[in-house]
Amino acid sequence: MKSTNFNSAHLEKQKFTRLLKLNLPHMKRILLASICVLLVNGALLIKPYILKIVIDDILTKHVVQKGFYSLTTLGILYFVVVALSGFFGIAQVNLINRAGQEIMRDLRGKVFQTIQLLPLWYLDKVSSGNLITRATNDIESLSEMYTDVLISLFQDVFLILGIIFVMIMINVRLAIISFCVVPVMFFLVFLLKTRIKRNFRKMKSLIGRINGFMAENISGMKLIQIFYGEKEKKEAFAKLNSEYFKVTSFQVWMNSFLKPAADVFQSLAVAILIWYGMGKIANQTLQIGVLYAFTTYIKQFFAPIADLADNYSTIQSAFASADRIFELLDQKENLEDLDSGISMEHTKGTIEFKNVWFSYNDEDWILKNISFSIHEGQTAAFVGQTGAGKTTIISLVSGFYKIQKGEILVDGLNINDIKKRDLRKNISVIFQDVFLFSETIGKNISLNDDISNFVIGDAIRTSFAKEFVEFLPEKINEPVMERGSTFSAGQRQLLSFARAIAHNPAIIVLDEATANIDTQTEILIQKAIETMSKDRTTLIIAHRLSTIRNADKIIVLKQGEILEMGNHAKLMEKDGYYKAMVMEGVKEYHTHIY
Amino acid sequence: MGNNILIKFIKDHKFSYIIGIIFMLLASYIQTLFPKVLGYTIDILQTNGFNPKSVYINLVYIVLIAIGTFVCTYAWRNLVIGNSRRLECHFREKLFDHFQKLSPEFYNRRKTGDLIAYAINDINAVRMTFGPATSMAINGMVVCVISIYSMANTINWKLTLLSLLPVPFIICIMFYIGNIVKKHFRKVQETFAAISDRVQENITGIRVIKAYVQEDGEVKKFQKLNDQMLEANLNMVRVSAYLAPLIELCFTISFVLNLIWGGNMVLNGSISLGGFIAFNGYLAMILAPVLSIGQVITIFQRGMASLDRLNEIFNVKPHVKDGESRAEFPAQSTIIITELSFSYPGSDSEALSNINLVIPTGKTLGIIGKTGSGKTTLVNLLLKMYNVEPNKIAFNEIDINDFKLDALRNGFGFVPQDNFLFNASIAENIKFFKNIYSEEEVVNAARNSCVYQNIMDLPDEFETILGERGVNISGGQKQRISIARALIKNPEILVFDDALSAVDTVTEAEILKNLRKVRKNKTSIIVAHRISAVMEADEIIVLEKGKISERGTHLELLEKEGLYHEIYKFQFGAS
Ligand SMILES: Nc1ncnc2c1ncn2[C@@H]1O[C@H](COP(=O)(O)OP(=O)(O)OP(=O)(O)O)[C@@H](O)[C@H]1O
Ligand SMILES: Nc1ncnc2c1ncn2[C@@H]1O[C@H](COP(=O)(O)OP(=O)(O)OP(=O)(O)O)[C@@H](O)[C@H]1O
Ligand SMILES: [Mg+2]
Ligand SMILES: [Mg+2]
Repeated sequence: MKSTNFNSAHLEKQKFTRLLKLNLPHMKRILLASICVLLVNGALLIKPYILKIVIDDILTKHVVQKGFYSLTTLGILYFVVVALSGFFGIAQVNLINRAGQEIMRDLRGKVFQTIQLLPLWYLDKVSSGNLITRATNDIESLSEMYTDVLISLFQDVFLILGIIFVMIMINVRLAIISFCVVPVMFFLVFLLKTRIKRNFRKMKSLIGRINGFMAENISGMKLIQIFYGEKEKKEAFAKLNSEYFKVTSFQVWMNSFLKPAADVFQSLAVAILIWYGMGKIANQTLQIGVLYAFTTYIKQFFAPIADLADNYSTIQSAFASADRIFELLDQKENLEDLDSGISMEHTKGTIEFKNVWFSYNDEDWILKNISFSIHEGQTAAFVGQTGAGKTTIISLVSGFYKIQKGEILVDGLNINDIKKRDLRKNISVIFQDVFLFSETIGKNISLNDDISNFVIGDAIRTSFAKEFVEFLPEKINEPVMERGSTFSAGQRQLLSFARAIAHNPAIIVLDEATANIDTQTEILIQKAIETMSKDRTTLIIAHRLSTIRNADKIIVLKQGEILEMGNHAKLMEKDGYYKAMVMEGVKEYHTHIY
Repeated sequence: MGNNILIKFIKDHKFSYIIGIIFMLLASYIQTLFPKVLGYTIDILQTNGFNPKSVYINLVYIVLIAIGTFVCTYAWRNLVIGNSRRLECHFREKLFDHFQKLSPEFYNRRKTGDLIAYAINDINAVRMTFGPATSMAINGMVVCVISIYSMANTINWKLTLLSLLPVPFIICIMFYIGNIVKKHFRKVQETFAAISDRVQENITGIRVIKAYVQEDGEVKKFQKLNDQMLEANLNMVRVSAYLAPLIELCFTISFVLNLIWGGNMVLNGSISLGGFIAFNGYLAMILAPVLSIGQVITIFQRGMASLDRLNEIFNVKPHVKDGESRAEFPAQSTIIITELSFSYPGSDSEALSNINLVIPTGKTLGIIGKTGSGKTTLVNLLLKMYNVEPNKIAFNEIDINDFKLDALRNGFGFVPQDNFLFNASIAENIKFFKNIYSEEEVVNAARNSCVYQNIMDLPDEFETILGERGVNISGGQKQRISIARALIKNPEILVFDDALSAVDTVTEAEILKNLRKVRKNKTSIIVAHRISAVMEADEIIVLEKGKISERGTHLELLEKEGLYHEIYKFQFGAS
């Protein structure tokens, strides 16, 4: 118990220092801003002083007005002071905000970069809404602290310190009496603090869930409408939303409580002060003027405290968000390191699996003792029942997951030792689930790489995407809607095929790349693949067995194990599982023709 | 529409608002008592040999005032700010409702990440306007009115008027700056949505990004947005930073004039010194609430910028019109399509042209055809995902437009071409979150779509939670779960849109066998690229560029020696 307490306090401190550290690069601006704050505060003191001169000297004592000492010049001076303080005020706001926004920009950039490099096993599990929220709402809530609170926080702290100083200078005893309610206040805040923090943490995670819910249901909206699931979804959302409401209600309650509580403490302090001073005044050990002055100081002392109470939730909210952001940034050890390892400019393209065992969750083996080797320039096909582990094998080749046992060799090197960036640059994958970005067609093919329009055009021609691209109003500059929603499924697949071709890889991987494409186009594409795959290693996964007949090596998988391996002719001779799969089609052939 | 939601909400909650405002005024009133009581107390203390009892009484008053202020403030904050939270959630629910009504046309054009930003970020800005900002505004106005009243009452209405001279200017400045803030804030919100969108798209496309090593490029692109966000925020701050100093400066002008003019009046005795000091006190007192009103204006304008954005969404009408007269889908319905042509909104080429088709009840239609030939379009139109002209599609001679959308769609079981599964358990996915199916029905649906064994092999069987879009299962498993989801409905019309593309031949044959069994007297439409999936159908149509180019049974089509025959030859012939 004690150790966890220590730990959380330790973490708290760590978070604090981390937040402070973020400010370091912007120290210059922050210092300048603090000077501005001081100047503005100075103006706050000078203004009443000018008034005092006017009232005391000119209006009361009737000092002769001459030169500087005249109503007019003093008035103008007053105006100048206000103008200057306004100027410094503006400067300070701009400075602090620039610093704050730059910090937020850096933080947001870091969050995004971290998300980029998270490994797939992590991303498979975490909800995207949660990640999005960290890059958006959580940063926003930190930024709110900077823009709305930090400046007044500065000012408030200055004010409080100044007033404490003045009070102690005038009368230590009265000062102590005046402050006697402060510990009670701190105690109260301390009592509430854990609840407040817990509440904010809950609130942030709910925002993440709401974002996630929205994202998921917006992308699945068509399906919801088809299945008429609106009612169920609405109920689920209402539930989530009301959970959020409950959490925010606590915050409203707390906000309604803290600020007036500060006011109550102020009145209490005044009452205690008078009660204490009463006797002293009666026996003439205290001047009434001093007592009166103290009542005013107490008011001035509590005004910034009430302010702080008001801002307390913004600060706690920012802290809760900071926790979430740091939690993500702390995934550092897990992040993929693209640049360490042996560099491999050009892969020859031999791939070898040696007794590979793999499991996604460290429990259920998905691949069991898989061994095969594919030589440079060969075409290998993976066939087998759905769920046999075909897609898994090819994600291992790209180094997306780490295997538990065995070894994967590319060009004779262990895959874990190869620089990931180089390895993946050499492999182009066409995924079973096509993904297109909301960019132009051209950009979807070249991605962020420098690929000339000529090469893009070539890729479009080779993949037969040209057939529909040329009818689009803007050809390759036609914008693609989210996930390519305005193209047919086959067209999307053709585009992702073009993307793979344009990147001119040493190894090309086709995971059901023609599943949604008609047979005529498929025949043409196959010819293209054949010419392309002459000098590169090609891995093909296909359920339409007609497409892989010509592969050099067909690897038949069943439930994570290799059943058979060999070329088409050899496997047909063998009369095994492969032949049964082929015959499944042929059986129908016989029943229907004859 | 968005405004209506707002107005209705305020109307529905007017009592709590009114009570809240009463408490607010009460709190302000009680607070003004404090200086008076304090004054009396000090006065008592000043008299020699004062009676401690009367001091005690006053101390009790002070404590009572404190408690009164506390209770009133606590009450109004809970009511008014609490309402704003309620408003926030209400708005969000309405937004989601509205999203559910919008047609695919809307979602084709808008992006997910962009839309989710409305739900948290924009609604939050609206909440700020109707909670904290409104109460601040009311508070500020009350204090202003009180000060002005006391000023005019106690001293000199001419001086009062003079001191209020800058007010019109201040109002102008507030509105001017407020408007610019609104414009800039809109930009901020838009950039926020763009960021949310970029992150969202990036996460969903992460596999492509990783496979093609695009991380650096993506980060660079993100930095550009990130810089825009910085600029947008700073632009807004730059403008709003002027507000408070400008207001103060305007007041200072009148204050200084007062100082000089009023000072002279004191000197020549036309007003008393005390009056002069009090007057200045009131002037200073006005400044604070006016400044806070200035701040309120910026919050208010932000809320308005967001409200505008929300209104733009709320004002989008569902493109697909709901029918009225038919609330029930007819059992045993024959589908009749006559001269159906269709082009997608905004596109001038026809995706379908002149389709004529009759699918008698209980029969199976097979559709085969080139990529982009309009197969998906055709089946989508049967479900009225886009508007269909009258008298083109009819079920049992009832025009499709007469059906209520829910009734129409209830008649269908649909397996879409790209499988979308929800981040929920497999059972929930198959049931589509509806509690109307028994466990046995779920198991049967899974059995008939040949995914039962796969599911039982998973650690938590039917309770296994799928990742987003079903990332943690294989492509074929996803497809078969979405087949199960359609089969469990036991619908009048079953539509397979290329729904066997990701399963192997053995499983395909198995599923087709099961289909023949469970769909004995019901209509099915099967879109496929593999001949084996459609050859059992009662009629097969071949689509080419949106037109039916061949039709007939499997054997008839083979005899025709057309496109169908060619496909057939390739798929079976060479072995
Ligand atoms: N990200 C993942 N996390 C956990 N389990 C997974 C994940 N991806 C796949 N699996 C499981 O691993 C097994 C093999 O999946 P894989 O995607 O490799 O199959 P496949 O052979 O490609 O099948 P299909 O032909 O259906 O695409 C399946 O049982 C699947 O449920
Ligand atoms: N939402 C849309 N907006 C505009 N055009 C569209 C939209 N959806 C599809 N199209 C276009 O309409 C044509 C027909 O598309 P459809 O999806 O019906 O083809 P399909 O026959 O299903 O093809 P596939 O076999 O590839 O699935 C294509 O040229 C496609 O680009
Ligand atoms: Mg797969
Ligand atoms: Mg289609």
